[in-house]
Amino acid sequence: MTHAESQDLLLDLAYGELDAVRAAEVEQHLSSCPECRKEKAALEDARRMAAPIRELEQPSPGFDERILRAARAQAQLEHDGNVGQVIEVTGSVRPLGVDVARIDAHGPVKARSAERPRPRWIVRTAVAGSVAAAAALALVVGNTLETRRNAEKVAAAHSSDFEIRVQPAVPPVVDSALRDAEAKQRQKDEIEPRGLGGVPVAAPGQEKTHDAVAQMPSLRKRGGPGARMQGSGGDAAESQAKAAANAKKERAVDTVAPAASGALEEKLSEPPPSASPPRAAESPPAGPAVAARQDVARSLAVAKAQAPMAPGVAEASLGAPTVEANARRAADDPSAIAYVGELDFGGSAVSVPVTNAAGLLQALSRGGGHAAARERLEHRCLEPRPRGRVSFGGRPVRRGAQGARRVGPLVPVGDDRDFRRGPGAAAS
Amino acid sequence: MAQERTDEELLAAYQQGDPEAFESLLRRYRAPLFTFLLRMLGDREKAEDLAQETFLRIVKGASDWEHRARFQTWLFTIARNLCVDQSRRDRFRRADSLDAEGRDGEPPMVESVPGAGIDPERGAASARIRPLLQEALLSLPAEQREVFILREQAGVPFREIAEMIGVNENTVKSRMRYALEALRKALAAAGVTEEAVTEEPVPGIGLGRA
Repeated sequence: MTHAESQDLLLDLAYGELDAVRAAEVEQHLSSCPECRKEKAALEDARRMAAPIRELEQPSPGFDERILRAARAQAQLEHDGNVGQVIEVTGSVRPLGVDVARIDAHGPVKARSAERPRPRWIVRTAVAGSVAAAAALALVVGNTLETRRNAEKVAAAHSSDFEIRVQPAVPPVVDSALRDAEAKQRQKDEIEPRGLGGVPVAAPGQEKTHDAVAQMPSLRKRGGPGARMQGSGGDAAESQAKAAANAKKERAVDTVAPAASGALEEKLSEPPPSASPPRAAESPPAGPAVAARQDVARSLAVAKAQAPMAPGVAEASLGAPTVEANARRAADDPSAIAYVGELDFGGSAVSVPVTNAAGLLQALSRGGGHAAARERLEHRCLEPRPRGRVSFGGRPVRRGAQGARRVGPLVPVGDDRDFRRGPGAAAS
Repeated sequence: MAQERTDEELLAAYQQGDPEAFESLLRRYRAPLFTFLLRMLGDREKAEDLAQETFLRIVKGASDWEHRARFQTWLFTIARNLCVDQSRRDRFRRADSLDAEGRDGEPPMVESVPGAGIDPERGAASARIRPLLQEALLSLPAEQREVFILREQAGVPFREIAEMIGVNENTVKSRMRYALEALRKALAAAGVTEEAVTEEPVPGIGLGRA
């Protein structure tokens, strides 16, 4: 071992990070190198002096309570499956005198199988005016296709402004607890009026008609989705850059939202700050949400987002064909504007824009491993789509679900999980 | 008793809806995480707040977690990022106020480190040294401090620290060297000798008190 190598590894040695062979090599070098010995001794001295740092300190007695409450609520939810999920489609759809269209598409709620967590939908909204003009308001939720009936209600819709929200099935208590935690931080910061360094504070006057959503921006700046995979928890490293980006996004929303040509919004999986109407946080999923939105005199569709399960089909047997069939039905239904179901974006397909072959709105589920895809898609979702219908991005649970994005010309190859694009799918 | 489950097994069980699994994780990491934040921030109340927020984020993100990163890494990454946010806010706040003494009679940070109320079971030497140590820690540049605490107190290997904070491992190690050297000097200057400390070796993890 050379002197330089040894120098390099002294720290690793001191902290026991070397395997036995390597450690022996360093030790051997040490025996003949006073300089390295001296340095090693210095490191060890410092470590000994700093030893008290390792003593554990305990937080105060009530520390666990809120966390455990949140954890239990979340566990309950995991156990119950996606019961809490809500999809709302809200829009100023005024079709033939029908002011309010309600879609209540929900299938049987099942306890989830233990084998694998279900995807949850990311909270995400995106809207483009042209979408509504092109299609009657309808919503396809996984296996439940309620389009025809609802399409009748909203036939000839010429809405120009609506939004789709997909609420996550995050239980109230987690959100409210996190919100409290964040509010507390904010409160402290407000002791100093200019506290939030580099992070713009949402101007109070910025309220939009979209009540709850209007509150979101200030939240987004703080921390970002802590829930993300790979531990990018507090989002600190990028928060400043993001703050700028977000400010930009907000401006975009501000200008676009009132316009007839297209409004778009987004919500991330963060809870609304305490000031906002705690719709998601405190009310049971469907009912009150409906009422709240109806106040705004918009069409409203609420659907419990079942996991993509065909009725009567056990989850375990839900294979690509089922997923594809659902996607296909949605695609074939001219009145459908949205499809919420399992999707596979697959690594390489990530950059495919959110418009899918069927031109369907595509809800994006949250899930590990595709944070990057989501980022990109989220970004794209902010751009109004000039043509046809819009889709959100999708996210894979099973490979076969890729079919959902490539609706239509799919050719099963080999086993039913492996699909290849058929002719025509390139349009996506 | 069955063999103790790993963090990752516990988290997986929690993903499947077992709240007890999370409780185990919380019990396991409550003190280490809190201690980490306390050393980083030098303020009990803030440390506790951020520790809670960290765990809540874990709760919220648990269903998205996949067994690729270690739980511990995830946990400390969240905490560390929250720290960065926090210190950024603090920095702006301080910059706002020309008065370095803190506002509203709030004592300077270092003094809010608990010095009184030290557990008598702990060695007297350690009790004497800890405030000095904390002071020395807080005087380190934040990037050295976090590396040092993550390695020395939280026990995170250099490679994982590098991943957490997004720099390469050599950078991490060089920060570590600086930190160790600076602490050694600071403590020596404060009259702490090596002997004073070594009389009571400290166990790495000891959930002595509830």
